[in-house]
Amino acid sequence: MATIDFDNVQKSYGEVHAIRDFTLHVEDGDFCVFVGPSGCGKSTALKMLAGLEATSAGSISIGGRDVTELGPGKRDIAMVFQNYALYPHMSVRSNIGFGLKMRGQDKADINRRVEAAAETLELTSYLDRRPRALSGGQRQRVALGRAIVREPSAFLMDEPLSNLDAKLRVQTRSEIVNLQKRLGVTTIYVTHDQVEALTMASKIVVMRGGVIQQIGSPDTLFAEPANIFVAGFIGSPGMNFFRGPVEIENGRAQTRFGEQVVPLSVSPDRLPRGEAIFGIRPEHLKIGGETGGTPVSLGLVESLGTEKILHFPTPEGQAIHSLQKVIGSDDAARDSTTMLARVIDDRRYSDGEHVRVALPEGKVHVFDPETQKALS
Amino acid sequence: MIDFSSPRHRAKFGYLLLAPAVLMMALIIIYPILLSVDISLQDVRIARVGGDREPWTLENYDWLVRSGEFWNAVWVTAKMVLTVGGISLAIGLATALLVNQKFRGRALARLFVALPWAVPEVVATVIWAWMLDSSFGVVNWALLKVGLIGAPIQFASNATAAFFAVCFVMIWKGYPLVSIMLLAGLQSIPEEQYQAARVDGANVWQRFLFITLPSLAPVIGVTAVMTTLWVFRDFAIIYVLTQGGPIGSTTTLSILTFEQSFSFFRMGQGAAVGVVTLVICAFISRALVGRFANSVH
Repeated sequence: MATIDFDNVQKSYGEVHAIRDFTLHVEDGDFCVFVGPSGCGKSTALKMLAGLEATSAGSISIGGRDVTELGPGKRDIAMVFQNYALYPHMSVRSNIGFGLKMRGQDKADINRRVEAAAETLELTSYLDRRPRALSGGQRQRVALGRAIVREPSAFLMDEPLSNLDAKLRVQTRSEIVNLQKRLGVTTIYVTHDQVEALTMASKIVVMRGGVIQQIGSPDTLFAEPANIFVAGFIGSPGMNFFRGPVEIENGRAQTRFGEQVVPLSVSPDRLPRGEAIFGIRPEHLKIGGETGGTPVSLGLVESLGTEKILHFPTPEGQAIHSLQKVIGSDDAARDSTTMLARVIDDRRYSDGEHVRVALPEGKVHVFDPETQKALS
Repeated sequence: MIDFSSPRHRAKFGYLLLAPAVLMMALIIIYPILLSVDISLQDVRIARVGGDREPWTLENYDWLVRSGEFWNAVWVTAKMVLTVGGISLAIGLATALLVNQKFRGRALARLFVALPWAVPEVVATVIWAWMLDSSFGVVNWALLKVGLIGAPIQFASNATAAFFAVCFVMIWKGYPLVSIMLLAGLQSIPEEQYQAARVDGANVWQRFLFITLPSLAPVIGVTAVMTTLWVFRDFAIIYVLTQGGPIGSTTTLSILTFEQSFSFFRMGQGAAVGVVTLVICAFISRALVGRFANSVH
């Protein structure tokens, strides 16, 4: 059990900077998730922490001990790999006990601890099988067993769920969280899936292009995204964005969304002159009022039973065409001229139907069009 | 008309396509084997296909069991298999591990490792025969200059020297294939296995022992079989270098087969040696392949 500190860590391959100014403090017992689109440097950061990749500059400490110059075996960490990396020629028992054997523990002790780990993960009846004779979920548990049996000061997990099917992934997700809570071991978990990040983490690090975008709890990231990228990346579907004028009336700032005048909770002196970028989460949009809001015609209705995702065009002249690059292609269902609303009600919606959409006060996020940072 | 694309008749079409290949195989592989078994069971000096047949007899095999030449050949072959096989594997594994590392000039290094394999066997042997010559050879010259030996080594007339000269050329010719095969095997081991082992605290020697060797075992097995069979059947290197001499010190089973059949024209006895060699090879490959295949499952 230990804290983990990255202090201004850099990683470059020749001219290419893979990681820049990576500074992070993880508390003892935290479940910290690195999340971001592919190529954002999250796996590289994890591998540097594991000691599998060298840092170009900066230092890394585990439990207050500087490990920057130490090999992976001396950092007192355990790692779960995306493809599990089980040793195919060894039984499950030997796989789990390998780390202890390499550390010269005596046989009886290894056996006792392997049995205990297997008990925890319900692997007891598979101990003498080879990994190839196990299902994907069982292999995953063996990989976890290999990590927990060593009782390391930190677990590192590199997309451990991405090789499982959807149902098993949800189930294993909660198993990992429960296991981590029970053992209380500091965990760093890498994923590209923001749902995994939100559901599992006590602390999320959102990365993009090798740079940390925001660090915070799931609630913080959801409610107060630091910039447009985080706002669009976190949440499913991600936040809607539109361009709007900044107007001051009676000392209060407001903007317009189609016909609707939307009061802003940001003080006027913090807002840029002219225009700004505004964001609203799909679940915060009010649909189907008799008056107020702005009329739209629904383009596509995706129904998941009581939950529905409604697609409708962004009001004339308020689409932001340059935004696709910022948010990335993670949300392929949407383009810059379409907005999404998420509603949970018993009403039936049909394609082409005209409804009124209203933006409630206090739920609208404002972003600087130049820096793309959130204004508040 | 049968529609061969229908699932019911697809198999028939397959057999039809296979038939020419099977017939060819039968003609060029099975028939000569049966023929040599047939000849080995006849007391003939020069066998003529379609000529008068001698009655079947076990006389040739009787000679085989009681002759010193046969047992000498078995002993020489066994020694050669172990020496060449063992050293080729060791050098092949070492070079494969070397050129599997990332370093500047790796492509060139790989080329040099594979080079002896690309040289035709007879050409390579002639080159080495020159270099090993006791009067003009560069090897003796170099050894004399360095002062390791006082007089030239007589590679042609010293039994031990001749044996090791043959082994040396065989290893030189044979290790590249081992190296190439093992390199392919090494490249199929996922990098994550090594990363996991490093995180588990395994040092470089432990990673070799617990990850590389077990993962490579099937390839090592197949390669060992191939090298063994190659030594068993190799003819050109020994024949060009020593003709099986001196006094039988490099007469392997394949040299003995040739000698009996075409030097002494005792084809019955030659065929008997060939048949026994075939049986031994079949057993060795079955045993080795089976053993190494089991070790991974």
